[in-house]
Amino acid sequence: MSDAPRPGEGESVLTRRGVRVELASAASFVVATLASIALAVVYWQGGEPQAEGVLLALALGGIGVGIVLWAKHFMPDDEVTEEREPLVSSEEDVAAFTADFAAGQSSLTSRRVLVATAGGACAALGVAVLFPIRSLGPRPGRGLKETPYRNAPIRVVTNEGEALRPEDLPVDGFVTVWPEGHTDAADASTLLIHFRDSQDFQPAPGREDWTVENIVAYSKLCTHVGCPVGLYQAELGLLLCPCHQSTFDVLEHARPIFGPAARSLPQLPLGTDAQGYLIATADFSGPVGPGFWDRDR
Amino acid sequence: MARDPSRLLTHRLARWVDSRLGTARFARTALNKVFPDHWSFMIGELGLYCFIVLVLTGVYLTFFFDPSQQLVTYDGSYGPLRGVEMTAAYRSALELSFDVRAGLVMRQIHHWAALLFLASVAVHLARVFFTGAFRRPREINWIVGCTLLILALLNGLFGYSLLDDQLSGTGLRIVYSVTLSIPVVGTWLASLFFGGEFPGPDIIERLYVIHILLIPAAIAVLLAVHLAIIVRHKHTQFAGPGRRNDNVVGERLWPTYAAKALGLFFLTSATLAFLGGVFQINPIWIYGPFDPAEVSAASQPDWYMGWLDGALRIMPGWEIRAFGFEIPNPFFPGVLLAGITFLLLYAWPFLEARVTGDHAEHHVLDRPRQRPVRTALGTATISFYTVLFLGGAADVMAATFGLSVNAILWTFRFLILLLPPIVAWITYRLCKELAARDGVPIASRVTWREIPGRLRRRHVAADAD
Amino acid sequence: MRLRHLLVAAPLLVTAAVTPLVAGGSPAQEGQDGEGQSEDELLAVGRELYLTGCASCHGENGEGVNGPDGDLRGPSLVEAGEAGAYYYLSTGRMPLANPEEQPVRKPPAYAPDEIDALVAYVASLGDGPELPDVDVEGADLANGGLIYRANCQACHSASGSGGALSYGRAAPGLADATPTQVGAAVRIGPGQMPVFGPDIISDEELDDLAAYVEYLKDPEDPGGVPIGRTGPIPEGFVAWLVGMTALLALVAWIGTRSPIRPRRRPERVPARHE
Repeated sequence: MSDAPRPGEGESVLTRRGVRVELASAASFVVATLASIALAVVYWQGGEPQAEGVLLALALGGIGVGIVLWAKHFMPDDEVTEEREPLVSSEEDVAAFTADFAAGQSSLTSRRVLVATAGGACAALGVAVLFPIRSLGPRPGRGLKETPYRNAPIRVVTNEGEALRPEDLPVDGFVTVWPEGHTDAADASTLLIHFRDSQDFQPAPGREDWTVENIVAYSKLCTHVGCPVGLYQAELGLLLCPCHQSTFDVLEHARPIFGPAARSLPQLPLGTDAQGYLIATADFSGPVGPGFWDRDR
Repeated sequence: MARDPSRLLTHRLARWVDSRLGTARFARTALNKVFPDHWSFMIGELGLYCFIVLVLTGVYLTFFFDPSQQLVTYDGSYGPLRGVEMTAAYRSALELSFDVRAGLVMRQIHHWAALLFLASVAVHLARVFFTGAFRRPREINWIVGCTLLILALLNGLFGYSLLDDQLSGTGLRIVYSVTLSIPVVGTWLASLFFGGEFPGPDIIERLYVIHILLIPAAIAVLLAVHLAIIVRHKHTQFAGPGRRNDNVVGERLWPTYAAKALGLFFLTSATLAFLGGVFQINPIWIYGPFDPAEVSAASQPDWYMGWLDGALRIMPGWEIRAFGFEIPNPFFPGVLLAGITFLLLYAWPFLEARVTGDHAEHHVLDRPRQRPVRTALGTATISFYTVLFLGGAADVMAATFGLSVNAILWTFRFLILLLPPIVAWITYRLCKELAARDGVPIASRVTWREIPGRLRRRHVAADAD
Repeated sequence: MRLRHLLVAAPLLVTAAVTPLVAGGSPAQEGQDGEGQSEDELLAVGRELYLTGCASCHGENGEGVNGPDGDLRGPSLVEAGEAGAYYYLSTGRMPLANPEEQPVRKPPAYAPDEIDALVAYVASLGDGPELPDVDVEGADLANGGLIYRANCQACHSASGSGGALSYGRAAPGLADATPTQVGAAVRIGPGQMPVFGPDIISDEELDDLAAYVEYLKDPEDPGGVPIGRTGPIPEGFVAWLVGMTALLALVAWIGTRSPIRPRRRPERVPARHE
């Protein structure tokens, strides 16, 4: 075929502007070189993130600018046309493939007994090799519906393990507690809130004795997707979850009044022990945290 | 003649390789491959280069990161955390940031590259969609591309969750709970994935394997397939002088296109290096180690997960409960919305082909104004997801502008339903107007002579060889 | 309101300007000379200021005032104590023009010595919390961080930049809070903030906490421009507005044709040889 001289080959005469572009490209490469050296020095001297980033950017960018200027202005950019060959094979070719495949396939599928037994074997093996997946985690059993508070009566303690008396929590007080001995139980984090006399607290039916001296306890895990409900707005008597803005009314068994949560925060029945420390008298009023298929069963 | 020695060398090298692999002809064809040179065709390349940077920086990070959840006491150089109990994973991230030379800049380049990887993929997806490049014969490549998007999304999420800081740990809690919300199998899936109830002792190590091995390998393979299909099909092109459906006009791969691609790689890496050095990202030492009983205000996932976070916030508190079973609230904006999103994404080429009745091969691209319906649906969809993204930032918007977060979320609940149709209508009218003004034919009325079930064969006169 | 105050209090200012510290301590009085003034005089000054600037909403004797429709116009100050008065006055939240709005930090309406007088007076109204003596020197920063993240970050965010509450309220940013103001706020729980008593956060822990809040005003930012330290939202903006803009600009630059070289006629490339 014809080998027309490629544009650019042997071309050495540049316009004035071309000279400037060549100079710019060369300068970019020089900048990159210097930046690389400086980068090595910076690293050797102990490193510094901003210097490392900027020098690396100059080194890479210098090479990049140099190459692009070279490509844009000195490499052939003539418009070339290439024909697209037909993508689709002819009907004969596709039919020939089908025929060849079918011919081979018939020896596979015609022996019915073999197909059936082979299929059974493969299916059985396929199922069997899935079994190790079972070892990845325990059966989701009672764990989702119980917390260590099931060992009630049990004291509630702070993160440092200190038990609390009612007078330790002032009005508008707000603290996170756990069952004693289980301060690392992720599902047992509990909010103790000391609401005001002036706030109209309405316990749910059957929970009239679940508070101690205006101190109420709710699960800290949001019933939406389980973030800790960390914001207590003392004047409004509202708990706000920062993740998706579910809002719970502390004065009405923490029922959700805004946001995507659909269930109240489970409440923990409080009492006091002989020494006057706050205790949980039973586990939460329901499974803590977000919902799941058989939560109510 | 100065050329001869290097030419002789190239010739000898080519002959050496060819005598072992028979590649000369193929290589010559490859050198002469024509690539249409519109700038918007290089956006996918940006994603490729971001991925390469991710792999290079990622390998470096793996030499220092320890995915163990064993509890240790920090005794490194960051004072405000000295003496604090944390997992080994979080500690190794702190060491990377403060004690490993160039560790912080590598970590930051890696994270910025992840954000830009997904941004490039998103812009590339939009370009392909609005120009109709997904039509026959490129449906398979569209499916490969959508899968790459999902894999990239997951790898980003798992990647920043490895550090076990307060912010990403909160995100994992949400992942766990959304998994839990799946009917029937949710509790099993969550327990098997996490190794028990949240947080579980194994999740960081498992995410590590997935993040550094499984997903990157899958992405690499699919990228290779993606590029191979492009080579097989040759790239699409916009309509113009000399450009037809049975040719491709542009510049040769060698040397110009290859040089430009290489240059873009260097420039992309330079941009990422600049971001990685100059802009602080993910300051995990401020967030502190993860504690399942604690959370910070303004907790958001990385930008590309924002639409799911926003959906979780905007969704009203509805659940389905019957016969003692329930489908909890997060299932609908979390699982169902995501499922429908990707289902529609995958199915789009086939849906469009069915609705328009257009099953022909297309190698010439549409201008968006030529396809008012598709463009309108596209912008409406973008507006839908934009509202979701904004929803994910509702509390920050409220705090920054002194607004009520409740009012913002209520507004978004209405906007998510009202805005897409309005945007669709405006876009449709705009396309029609622009097309009419430019005299550009609207392509939706194109008819193709077609034998049902078979393509019309086109004979192209090949040059005599 | 401020101008009126100054006009009325001008003669008192002159006297108050040479008043020494009152027992109980208030760090706002650093740098004054040590001339003594009896506690009674301070209380008198405080009462004068109170009657002029506070009584209309908080009552003649701090008992609180209800508006004509029964809504609270100004709460009772009986249990405000030193801490409450100091917090609200030194952060400029009080005096408050509109009781409907959430009080926000403003330049204080009173001079430091006037604040001392008012603090003394309000404290005398009841037995509210004392102003804690917060000393951040030599405090345990790591412990402060632990306490901060356990109790404060949910509202004020990990970086101390504040956060949204319900219905338009907000937990303020902590960039301007002095250690004593931090201590006062922790003990009185202003506005929606809960109260953290000494059994939950001891006085030593309060020192550590205040030191950590100080640290958050200017933490280490080894990574570069901190863009708020609030996480993915500003990071996403930078990724798109800086990163993606740059990349697309580069792509556009690379993809445009060079003006130097004139385009040649289209040249035909042979189809694939097989």
